[in-house]
Amino acid sequence: MSVTQLLAQEEHSFQPHLEHRILAGFNFGAATPIGFPNTIRKINAYWPEFSPSLGYELTYQACEEWGVSLGVKMDYKGMGTKDQVQYFHTIITTEDGGRFEGDFSGHNKTIAKNAYITLPFSAVFTPNTRWRFNLGGYVAWLFSSNFHGTVSDGYIRNGGPLGEKVTISEATFDFGTNVRSFDIGVQGGAAYRVGKRISIDGNLNWGLRPIFPGDFRGLDFPLYNVFLTLGVTYKI
Amino acid sequence: MNKLKLGCLSVLLLLQYACIKKAPVNPEADIISFSIPARYLTSDVFIDQINSRILLNLTPAAFDSGVVPIITVSEGAHLTPPSGDSLHFSTKNQNTYVVTSASGVNQKTYVVTVVNIGVWQWDFEIWRENAKDKYQYPIEANEDSSEIWSSGNPGIALSGVPANPLEYPLRATTDAYHGKYAAEMVTRKGTALSELVGIKLFAGSLFLGVFDPTNALFQPLKATQFGQPYIGKPARFMGYYKYTPGDNYQDKSGTIIPGIKDSCSLYAVLFKGTTRLDGTNIQTSDRIVAIATLPDGGPQANYKRFDVPFIEVRPYEATDQLMLAIVASSSKDGDSYKGAIGSRLVLDSMQVTHQ
Repeated sequence: MSVTQLLAQEEHSFQPHLEHRILAGFNFGAATPIGFPNTIRKINAYWPEFSPSLGYELTYQACEEWGVSLGVKMDYKGMGTKDQVQYFHTIITTEDGGRFEGDFSGHNKTIAKNAYITLPFSAVFTPNTRWRFNLGGYVAWLFSSNFHGTVSDGYIRNGGPLGEKVTISEATFDFGTNVRSFDIGVQGGAAYRVGKRISIDGNLNWGLRPIFPGDFRGLDFPLYNVFLTLGVTYKI
Repeated sequence: MNKLKLGCLSVLLLLQYACIKKAPVNPEADIISFSIPARYLTSDVFIDQINSRILLNLTPAAFDSGVVPIITVSEGAHLTPPSGDSLHFSTKNQNTYVVTSASGVNQKTYVVTVVNIGVWQWDFEIWRENAKDKYQYPIEANEDSSEIWSSGNPGIALSGVPANPLEYPLRATTDAYHGKYAAEMVTRKGTALSELVGIKLFAGSLFLGVFDPTNALFQPLKATQFGQPYIGKPARFMGYYKYTPGDNYQDKSGTIIPGIKDSCSLYAVLFKGTTRLDGTNIQTSDRIVAIATLPDGGPQANYKRFDVPFIEVRPYEATDQLMLAIVASSSKDGDSYKGAIGSRLVLDSMQVTHQ
């Protein structure tokens, strides 16, 4: 039997079926504005926080090359950053009815670490036995949120640019409770098979919904979850 | 493959770096400094940034001849009239300076106010309200409407209290001994924001002097700048007050300390020099020459008259350059954030008599 005949025979023997995979990896990325506002003057440091991603994916392989998948993942999306800002407008409202509005110039350190239950869904394209590509979207529900940090070595102007200047040596902020409980976005990536069942996997997850609600004014620009998951998949 | 992905990630991050935009043009329009030779002044110049005023305490000679201030403004901003122009004072014309920010968008007008203390007697009849933060402050009944009293209210405004005069610990009350109004101080609990920096209580305060917000958050005791220029020798400090301590005395951490009753404090301090004392040294400075203190800060349900003499603690002459501060607080330990929430001190018809 020639090679061609063998392949042809396999093609004929293809049956639509389900595939099960365990996904494990880490998220690298940021809760970031898309295009920096001019009030951000300098990024002094960036680091990914410990952001594991663990989940399960079910694929319905409809034909040899195409399938659809649905997964469920526990996703930590974290990062830390140190930056310098100028005339950064902020409005802080508190539960006791208080409100502070002002423009801050100085140093900022922010740590964001939000944990989601994510349901990714994709169209899956498998052109050959090595590569597997997917493109789709995700919905995610927040189950734990952290968004806090410090502002230091600067000043804030009460109310806006013409308000009185108040020196800030160091002050903390915590917007954790303001993070939205639902995120939705697009995602896509590629997996490269390196063993019988194991593949290396990279997947970009791009949030389309600002992580803070519209009436939140602690930052005067929207932040989106943009994270790359790097990891392995294990086909059960 | 991993290298490729790391490469993609770096590109993503690099893009973000590359996206740092051109710096915004300076939107600020402050008068940063206003200098007049010290020989023309009876106290240091104070730039009231909250209300955009330059407060001058001038010698009579300087008032008559005018002065030539040297002024600096925010970087790139434009000042009219310019620094170095002479400034003349008359009762008719108000001197103003207009600062336009480098961005051209913002303008701030500063009014030059020659502080006129006149009679050292106060009934706290005329009150104004800060336009933005809505706290009240008393002004003098003289034709200049001088503002010589200040309080912790502007600092408390920074800690995010609701914009309502009754949320601030110093305010006007109709519970007056004489006239329509008196000054009421009520110790209140901290705000959600102030508790983040460990401040669980704000005592009500009223003092002769100015509030400098610059250091209000990290050195709050330096924000309260005590004293106004004084000529001669004071004899007695008198007036009417009532005081009701709050129920539960708490320490700085907010823990209730049983068995301790809150008390108020009220004192007048005469000191040498033209630079104000502040919360860190008003009781300890070696510039202090005479003190008059209300001896009993305990409960007083109805208006009670107080009349205490100035006790000389260091020798001084009536011709010395002197400043006088009066400091009142609804919680005696309020400067270290201790006291009882609800403690209420009301003051009316105060005066300082001269020898």
